[in-house]
Amino acid sequence: MSQPRSSGYWHTRYAQDTALVETRTQKFWLAALALALGTYPFLANALWLDLANQVLLASIGAVALMLLTGYAGQISLGHAGLLAAGAFTAGILFQELAAPMWVTLPAAAAVGAALGLVFGLPSLRLRGLYLAVSTLALHFIVIHIGAEYETKRGYSTGIVMDSPVQDARAWYFVLLAASAATVLFSLNLLRSRTGRAWRAIHGRETVAEALGIHVARAKLTAFVVSSMLAAVSGALFAYFRGFVSVEAFSLYLTIQYVAMVIIGGMGSVLGALLGTVFVVLFPYLIDAAMRALGVADRLASLVFAINYAGFGLVMLLFLVFEPQGLVGLWRRAQNWALLWPFKQRPVQR
Amino acid sequence: MSALLRVEKLEVVYHRVVTAVQGVTLEVPRGSLVALLGTNGAGKTTTLRAISGFLGLDDARVTDGAVWFDGTRIENLPPHRVTRRGIVLVPERNKVFEGLTVDENLEAAVPRGSSAGPRDLAYTVFPALKALRRRQAGYLSGGERQMLAIGSALACSPRLLLIDELSQGLAPILVAELMERLQAIRAETGATILLVEQNAQVALEAADHGYVMESGRVVLDGTPERLRAHEDVREFYLGGSERRRSYREVKQYRRSRRWYG
Amino acid sequence: MQLAVNIAVLGSIYALISCGYVLIYRVSRVLSLAHGELMMLGAYGLYATASLFSAHPLVALAAACALGLMVGVAVYFALMWRMTGESVLAAVLATIALGILLRGAMILVFGTQTRHPLDELGWENASHELWGGARISTVGLALLACTALVYLGLFAFLRATRWGIRMRAAGQHALLAAQRGIGLHGVYALAWGLATLTGGLAGMLLAADAGLEGTLYIVGLKAFPAALVGGLDSLLGALAGSLIIAGAEVLLIHYVDPLLADVVPFIVLLAMLIVRPWGLFGTREELDRV
Repeated sequence: MSQPRSSGYWHTRYAQDTALVETRTQKFWLAALALALGTYPFLANALWLDLANQVLLASIGAVALMLLTGYAGQISLGHAGLLAAGAFTAGILFQELAAPMWVTLPAAAAVGAALGLVFGLPSLRLRGLYLAVSTLALHFIVIHIGAEYETKRGYSTGIVMDSPVQDARAWYFVLLAASAATVLFSLNLLRSRTGRAWRAIHGRETVAEALGIHVARAKLTAFVVSSMLAAVSGALFAYFRGFVSVEAFSLYLTIQYVAMVIIGGMGSVLGALLGTVFVVLFPYLIDAAMRALGVADRLASLVFAINYAGFGLVMLLFLVFEPQGLVGLWRRAQNWALLWPFKQRPVQR
Repeated sequence: MSALLRVEKLEVVYHRVVTAVQGVTLEVPRGSLVALLGTNGAGKTTTLRAISGFLGLDDARVTDGAVWFDGTRIENLPPHRVTRRGIVLVPERNKVFEGLTVDENLEAAVPRGSSAGPRDLAYTVFPALKALRRRQAGYLSGGERQMLAIGSALACSPRLLLIDELSQGLAPILVAELMERLQAIRAETGATILLVEQNAQVALEAADHGYVMESGRVVLDGTPERLRAHEDVREFYLGGSERRRSYREVKQYRRSRRWYG
Repeated sequence: MQLAVNIAVLGSIYALISCGYVLIYRVSRVLSLAHGELMMLGAYGLYATASLFSAHPLVALAAACALGLMVGVAVYFALMWRMTGESVLAAVLATIALGILLRGAMILVFGTQTRHPLDELGWENASHELWGGARISTVGLALLACTALVYLGLFAFLRATRWGIRMRAAGQHALLAAQRGIGLHGVYALAWGLATLTGGLAGMLLAADAGLEGTLYIVGLKAFPAALVGGLDSLLGALAGSLIIAGAEVLLIHYVDPLLADVVPFIVLLAMLIVRPWGLFGTREELDRV
């Protein structure tokens, strides 16, 4: 949870108690952020606008995974499969039934929820490593079904989609709305009974059960909610790219989302967002570094290998040296500023 | 120094905030059997862990004081270095390899130096184990398990044997037999033994010297006769009082006695 | 009959790869998802040593094996010892990240064309006729022989030798093993070294058969369901699991649909996880204690 900024606890009304933003300083900074986000598309050039769109789109999936793995503690390596399910639902409905966007998105959500139930059933019996492996197996099965559809229906290079939203700026506001909705939804869900149940299960499952929490229901809820959000993210991705193909949803994509969660910092929605920014921007950072070093042309053919190697290296560095991720760094900076001139670091989890 | 092990004002802190052991000083002379008594949570196991070097796993550190083993300081050393010097711990839980047979359990222990002899010592001291050579350790009874645990510790040719809760979960007759065996071990190998026990009766019968710990401190020490004669020990550890006292009363009484003399 | 031969060869590929998964898991309780990439590294290692020692193929082979052992030990000391004590997820992710790093590095060093280490060694992959009209290649025979030797060797080592017993002990209770003087770093490093060696062998043989491409690691990923189906800490299980999955794959490809090749291992895995999560011969993992 964030550091307390207001001293004392002076809430006298329920509205004050349940508000997400407490102090005037927080409200000010929130307004400033809203202003910045609102004017961004009019100030940024085409490349940065596209980057922002990618970040916003990926953040929905990242927050979804954070809810499942960071909060409820259910390890899932099948995220790309869920994204693919959403994308393929949108694609199939569009191709077969010429369905409009306001039909395909809810349909993708429904498919995601159903698939989430399937992905979540093993979690009732399995834990940790075995659960991760079962989600991995399900991922491959989903991808296989998608590939079967592609070859059987003749879309060997993928399904082409028509998107009602064409302009990059329009996409920005659509994705910003979707992302903000996801974040708000998640923050509130985490403050509710379900969120508390998740945290209890993450801590010690048997104790949670002994305390009267319906563990099976909470776990399945985590999977269903997470998968629903992931599927919607996948469907939006299909419209954004205008194209659905099974190659885009590889194991590497899952690892990228897991990296967003880990690099950002487990157990924090802010972490999911920070991680998303980092992972999405990473290839462009590599590109800029290569150009700065003057090797861009020489190594152009190997750029994806450099991305791979660099990504693996960065992930390793974070896992070994900063397991609490970017949020951990942020919190340390906060502690330093809040506690100065004292130096004692408070006890972390 | 005549003492094999000397702990001086040891302080152990968990998670940087909880002090489990405060200023503990004790001495274990060569070849003796020293008993460390106390109720749950007194810090006895933590002291043993600090001596044997297995603190780091629980985010605990020795923050003050020293542990001297045969003249060299060993606190905060990595565990395998400590074991190599001849300090072997028989832990409270997880004391045998359940998936291996009795024979394999004894084979797995790495003897200090290159001698291959001490494996048979376990069978000499515990003849009952001979019949169970091929049985999987997971299927042994509590008493047999404890025998195997001590036996595999012996296979490391220890100079100092640290035993945590020898009598836990065992029938009194088995406990008596095990204590007898401990004396046989001392006679055979000349090993020194530091025994942590909740069963003060049994421990004081076998020990040469005893320490009583409470809330992280040593509150009493002396020969078994002196300890048995001490009225507090009689009352709280040997069950000598007429009316039943609660655990909380014990701690409060001790605290008041410590403060007011 | 040809089907049986195919099952045997595919099964021995999976078995040779999965004994690496089992070794690492049994001894250090870590599921190494970098094994596919390490296997590929072994193959590229053979290609490199074959190019270096093109006149002495046996020396090249031996050098490649030694390289595999050393790389495994190096991976442990460079990375995995830092992850001991961390959560399961962190350790597994570390191996995944390592795999990604290795994949990128191998493409950077060796490029993307298909290589043929067998040509560099100057050996030929002839086809032999067996009874019943089935055919098997030299490499296929070598695979069967290798797998048998490796498994027999590992069984003997773990059951009968002192250090094998110590490795098993370290896998059961690491703390108790340390308390009995067993050097955990040495044991874990040895496990990683042996695993990388056997994986590398599998990679070399695969590359000799089909050529060395940047997608070889996928076979490694398909082999890990074999380890799980048999039980992650049982060598016998790895053997059994490999045969089952190879059998299912070959039969389903032949009789149902060739597209199923990549997904069959995972369907079998899922079925096994539902019915018996700890595999055929694995030990039941301990339940939570409150």
